[in-house]
Amino acid sequence: MYTADIRQPLVTGGKTYSDVTQDVCRPIENKPTPSWWLGFSIAVVLFLLLAGTLAWTVWEGIGTWNVNKSVMWGWDITNFVFWVGIGHAGTLISAILLLFRQKWRMAINRSAEAMTIFAVFCAAIFPLFHMGRVWLGYWPLPLPNAFGSLWVNFNSPLLWDVFAISTYLSVSLVFWYLGLIPDIATVRDRATSKARKFWYGFFAMGWNGSAKSWGRYEVVALILAGISTPLVLSVHTIVSMDFATSVIPGWHTTIFPPYFVAGAIFSGFGMVLTLLLIARHVMNYQDYITTEHLEAMTKVILLTGSIVGLAYITEFVIAAYSGYEYEQYAFANRMFGPYAWAYWTMMFCNLMAPQVFWSKWARTTPWFIFIISIIVNIGMWFERFVIIVTSLHRDFLPSSWVMYHATWVEVGIFLGTFGLFFTCFFLFAKFLPVINMAEVKTIIKDKE
Amino acid sequence: MIDKSILLDNKKFTVGIFDNSDKLLHAVKTLKEKGVKIFDCYTPFPVHHLDQALGYHRTNLTVGAFLCGMLGCLSGFTLAFYMNVVDWPMIIGGKPQDISVFTSFIPVMFELTILFTAFGMVIMFFARTRLIHGIKEDLLSRRQTDDHMVLAIDNNEEQAISNEDIVALLTKEGAIEVNASKEAFNTSLTSEEDLAKILNPASTKSKKK
Repeated sequence: MYTADIRQPLVTGGKTYSDVTQDVCRPIENKPTPSWWLGFSIAVVLFLLLAGTLAWTVWEGIGTWNVNKSVMWGWDITNFVFWVGIGHAGTLISAILLLFRQKWRMAINRSAEAMTIFAVFCAAIFPLFHMGRVWLGYWPLPLPNAFGSLWVNFNSPLLWDVFAISTYLSVSLVFWYLGLIPDIATVRDRATSKARKFWYGFFAMGWNGSAKSWGRYEVVALILAGISTPLVLSVHTIVSMDFATSVIPGWHTTIFPPYFVAGAIFSGFGMVLTLLLIARHVMNYQDYITTEHLEAMTKVILLTGSIVGLAYITEFVIAAYSGYEYEQYAFANRMFGPYAWAYWTMMFCNLMAPQVFWSKWARTTPWFIFIISIIVNIGMWFERFVIIVTSLHRDFLPSSWVMYHATWVEVGIFLGTFGLFFTCFFLFAKFLPVINMAEVKTIIKDKE
Repeated sequence: MIDKSILLDNKKFTVGIFDNSDKLLHAVKTLKEKGVKIFDCYTPFPVHHLDQALGYHRTNLTVGAFLCGMLGCLSGFTLAFYMNVVDWPMIIGGKPQDISVFTSFIPVMFELTILFTAFGMVIMFFARTRLIHGIKEDLLSRRQTDDHMVLAIDNNEEQAISNEDIVALLTKEGAIEVNASKEAFNTSLTSEEDLAKILNPASTKSKKK
C-alpha cells in the first residue's frame, strides 16, 4: 500500500485492531466517570430550563417573548439558523470529505454526525414554537384537511424549509444509523449483561460483517454521501431564501445562499472543535483525534471564515454601489446604529479571529483552538442576530422603528437548547461508540 | 445466495481465522485458484478487494436507488402541481398559480428526490442483506466483529480438493486457528453459560498453530 512519508499517521500510538475496540468500547462498558456525571447533570438542568420556558411560552402565549410587529423574528429565528448551521459540519465531514477521500474524517465523523442530528432537534424547536400554537404544528405539512382544501403554498420558501429540514434530519439519521450498525454489532459481541446483549443485538440487526454485506454497505454509504452533499448545500440555501426572497433591505440579496452555506460550515466546524477538544481530553482519545485532525479542521475554519468575511464586505460594497438608499441605510445602520456592538462583535469573531490560523502554532495548540472555536460560535450567533434584528428594527416606516431586547424566556429557551444538545450528546457518548471503529480499523496503518 | 441461512440450516463449516487482512486476502486468492468454493468471509471492517477476490459482483442497489429518486422527484412535482394548480389555486402576492411557477416547485421536488433515494436504498439494503431488528446474528467467531477475520467454507459443498487439504492450506496461509467443523452461533440471544457450552466444544476440536 502507498504511504506518504511526509504525512503523520492518522492514528498514533501503534494501535492494534483490538486496541481500537477496547478504547472505543471502554466508556460504554464501564460505569460513567465523575466528569461525565458532572457534565450530564449541568446539561439536564439546562434541559429542564428549556422545558420550563417552553411550557411558560405555551401557557402564557408568545407575548412572553419580546418579538413585535417590526421585529417579528428575534432570538427564535436567530437560534434556529444558528443551530441548523451547526449541524452542517457533521454532514460535511461524513459526506463531502468521504467523496474527497479525506481519511482523517474517519475518527471524527461519528460524533460530528451525532452533533448534526442533535443540532437539528434544537433548531426545529424554534420555528415550531414561534408559530404560537404549537399543537397545530402539523399545519405546514401538505395534509388533506377540512379547510376547503386549503393546501400549503409551494411558492413559499418557508414551506421549502419544512421539506428541507425534515429531509435533512431524516437522511442524517439514516446515514448515522447505517454507520453505527457494524459498531453496535461489535459492542453486542462483547456484551456481558443481558440488557446490553438484547438492546445492542436488537439495533445491530444481525450484522455479522460478511464480505457480501460489506460490499453492499460501502456502495450504500457512498451513494448516501453523494446525495447528502447536495442535500446539505440545499438546506442552508433554502434557509437563506427565507430571507433572500423577501424585499427587506439587508435580506434581499442574491449572495445569501453561498454566504449562508459557508457560514454554516464555519460555525459547524467551530462547534465540532469545541466538542471534540473536550471529548478528546475527557475520554483520552488523543491517539485517534490527533493534532493532525485539529489542524485539518482549523484549515477549514480559516477557509470558510475568510469566505464569510468576504461575503460581509461584498454585501456592504454592493449596498453602497446599488444606489438604493434603503439598502444603504440598512448597512450604515448595522455598522453605526444602535446594534453596532453586535455588528463589530460579528466582524471581530468571524473575520478577524480565525485569521490566526495562518500560524502553525495556532493550528496545533489545543487550548488555543478551543478559545477560537468558542469565539467562532459566538460570532456566528451574532451574524444571524445582526442579519435578522438590524434589518427589521428600522424598516421603511420610521414610526414603526423599535429596539428589540430578548426577555428572560427567550434567553432561557436558547440556553435550554444547549441543555437538550448536551444531554443528547452525553447520552450518545455513554451508550454508543463515539469513534467509528470499523472505519478507523481500516486506516490504523495508513498515512494520508 | 442467502446470507443468513447458515444458522437455520445447521450447516457445518470449515473455518480459518486470520488476524491480518492481507493474509486473509491472499488465502482467499489461493483457495480460489485451487478451485475451492468459499461460502463467505466475515471481517470486522471492510477489506478492500476482498469482494472481487471472492468473485462477488457489484451490487445493483444503485439502480434501485435511482428508481426511488425518480419516484421521489415525480411525487414532489405531483404534490405541488396537484395542490397549488389543480385542486385549489391560491393567488398569493399576485403570483400566478399555473405551470409557469414550476421553478418554485423545484426545491420540494429536489428534497423529495433525496428523501426517497436515501430511504428506498437503505430499506432495500436492509432487505437484501437481511438486516432486521431482532434477527439472530450468525457468528463463526466471537471476535469477528472485533479483530478476527473468518474465512468460511461450506462442508456440504463439493470441493475440488479434499477437506484435509483445505485445512492444511488454511494453516499454511497463516490462519491463527483452523476448525474443520464449526456451527454458527449467536451472542445476543444466548445466555453466557449456553454460549460457553457452544464455544467450548468447538475450541477443543480446533487446531492451533
